[in-house]
Amino acid sequence: MIEAFHIEALAQVSPAWPVIIGGLIAAIIPNFTLRKALALVVPVLALVLWFNPAAPGTYGIIEFGGFTLETFRYDPLSRIWGLVFIIAAFINAIYGLHEKDRLADTMGMIYAGAGLGAVFAGDLLTLFFFWELTAISSVFLIWGARNNAAYKAGLRYLAIHILSGVLLLAGAVIRASETGSWAFDETLTIETTGGFLIFLAFGIKCAFPLLHNWLQDAYPKATITGAVVLSAFTTKLAVYALARGYAGTDILIYIGAVMTAFPVFFAVVENDLRKVLAYSLNNQLGFMVVGVGVGTELALNGAAAHAFVHIIYKALLFMSMGAVLLRVGTVKASELGGLFKSMPATAVFCLIGAASISAFPLFSGFVAKALTLAAVAQEGHVIIWFVLIFASAGVLEHSGIKIPYFAFFAHDRGLRVREAPANMLIAMFLAAALCLWFGIFYGNLYEMLPFPEAALYYEPYTFDHIVGQMQLLLGAMFAFTLLVRFGLYPEEKRSENVDFDWTYRRFGDGALRWIWAMMDRLTAAIGNVINAVGRKLGGRMFEAFSPIGALSRDIPSGLLAIWTSALLAVVLLIAYLAP
Amino acid sequence: MSDPSKDKSDELIHPVARPFLWLDAPWLKSAMIWVFGVLALAFAAVDLFHHRHEYVPFAETYGFYAWWGFASFVAAVMIGWFGIRKFLGREENFWDKESHDD
Repeated sequence: MIEAFHIEALAQVSPAWPVIIGGLIAAIIPNFTLRKALALVVPVLALVLWFNPAAPGTYGIIEFGGFTLETFRYDPLSRIWGLVFIIAAFINAIYGLHEKDRLADTMGMIYAGAGLGAVFAGDLLTLFFFWELTAISSVFLIWGARNNAAYKAGLRYLAIHILSGVLLLAGAVIRASETGSWAFDETLTIETTGGFLIFLAFGIKCAFPLLHNWLQDAYPKATITGAVVLSAFTTKLAVYALARGYAGTDILIYIGAVMTAFPVFFAVVENDLRKVLAYSLNNQLGFMVVGVGVGTELALNGAAAHAFVHIIYKALLFMSMGAVLLRVGTVKASELGGLFKSMPATAVFCLIGAASISAFPLFSGFVAKALTLAAVAQEGHVIIWFVLIFASAGVLEHSGIKIPYFAFFAHDRGLRVREAPANMLIAMFLAAALCLWFGIFYGNLYEMLPFPEAALYYEPYTFDHIVGQMQLLLGAMFAFTLLVRFGLYPEEKRSENVDFDWTYRRFGDGALRWIWAMMDRLTAAIGNVINAVGRKLGGRMFEAFSPIGALSRDIPSGLLAIWTSALLAVVLLIAYLAP
Repeated sequence: MSDPSKDKSDELIHPVARPFLWLDAPWLKSAMIWVFGVLALAFAAVDLFHHRHEYVPFAETYGFYAWWGFASFVAAVMIGWFGIRKFLGREENFWDKESHDD
């Protein structure tokens, strides 16, 4: 199958290049139709290149400035991430067909291409190049909203992602100076300074706890299409990087467990449904990070499978909320309700995304999440396993119920809008179809995983697993209906919940402003003292040496000339006699 | 909830959605408690007749997932609303009202 596609002349070309070059070409194409055609064609070209390598290996090696850059490492791990990035780029291109924004088209393609480039990077320098390119290109998808809040969120987003890149480069340089290696592989470790800095760089992009606020800050403020595009690449690239470099690092198990649990509480009370999805994204990343931390074949398969299906169903949920935002003008839960009467197809697609992320049997989340949970339990991490089961119920709460319920059902607010545009519906249909396809024909997913033998050995559709999962979901849904019935599920309110970002957006910002103001005052006070001393000294000098000063008044100028000559003579004498 | 009879005369409702207007009916909210309650109990009851094999022994107790799901959901909502919202909830323009943030 793979050999049938093999084109020797293109064997060295990474799938990233057509997508990035397509983005650059789009920048100079004023014609909207041509740009959109290009956005659809480049993922197809990338797919051809993805199929092209005859065997796993490192291709596209470039010698540059004494460095060896590996631009196309094709192995089971990069293969599955590359494929889902290409699928996401194609679906996103369809979703954005209505959007007439040349900058968004350009940056959307460059961003997707940079994500692919990073996934296929075989060394840390190549990774750094694409890592930074994802940051720089993606910020335009936030700024594309063209409002002040988006502009400021974009700046914060850019700052932290550039910091991530700087840490990556610093870590890589330190590591290279110690070991002489630029390899981006399993030899990375957090026990060395370089390795730890690289880990931190990956952690920022992966939205580790306390480093996560950029995600909830920026994604909800991005453009409608931008949020969908952003949801696919950055964070999953970070999970890939962790899986590549730090698989089996124990601390990731605990970091991941915290990531699955804490966003649940924030998502419950969040009114902005795109922000709910951003918290939900954090929670889902947690499952993947736990899988990477456990590091067994089954666990890494779980992380890869989860990343694959998550990209699709999370995009589907963001797409459905994007359609609501386009038609209604808001995604505030407090303003929505009853939209299934106006947007029935969008509602159905949203429900499919919700069922997938909640891991209902027959949907993709069910077959993916099961791998990670099984691996965690098999390795004896019982407490972590309980946390993950709690987080699974939490996912159902915020993404499975809250998103579709408040947007499309709950209280009918009398919103009568048009159904989403055809291109959005097609994109949502494709994503929804994939959610079902991989949920039912899970073998297609499992055989693409990094360790297909281990995956195919695992059977997700056992009687026990189905019964257990249905118990969990129905128990949680029963709780929801009960809480609503007894008024214990509070109405959504227009509000803002501060998170850890308060520490730098309010406290840190305030502290810096206070320090700045104090520095201003100190500078002014020092200036005043210097001026006062200067004025006083100047006055005294003036009194002494000015034409009307004391020296001019009392001492004849001839006498002053004599004294000056005498002093000069003394100086000359000293200079002459000095050894 | 809107008035279903009013909905029928609402021409702006999508034709595809018309056969499903009952989804908005008040009786459904009460009915869902029974539907989900009975289904949850039914799946929990399966444990009485069938021993589930789990990697974690405690998960093999009767109806474990059902009550864990119920308790987790309630805990998430309660901690969210009466913990996070109470202590971290602010007015909607919390960030925007700052003179330097507009």
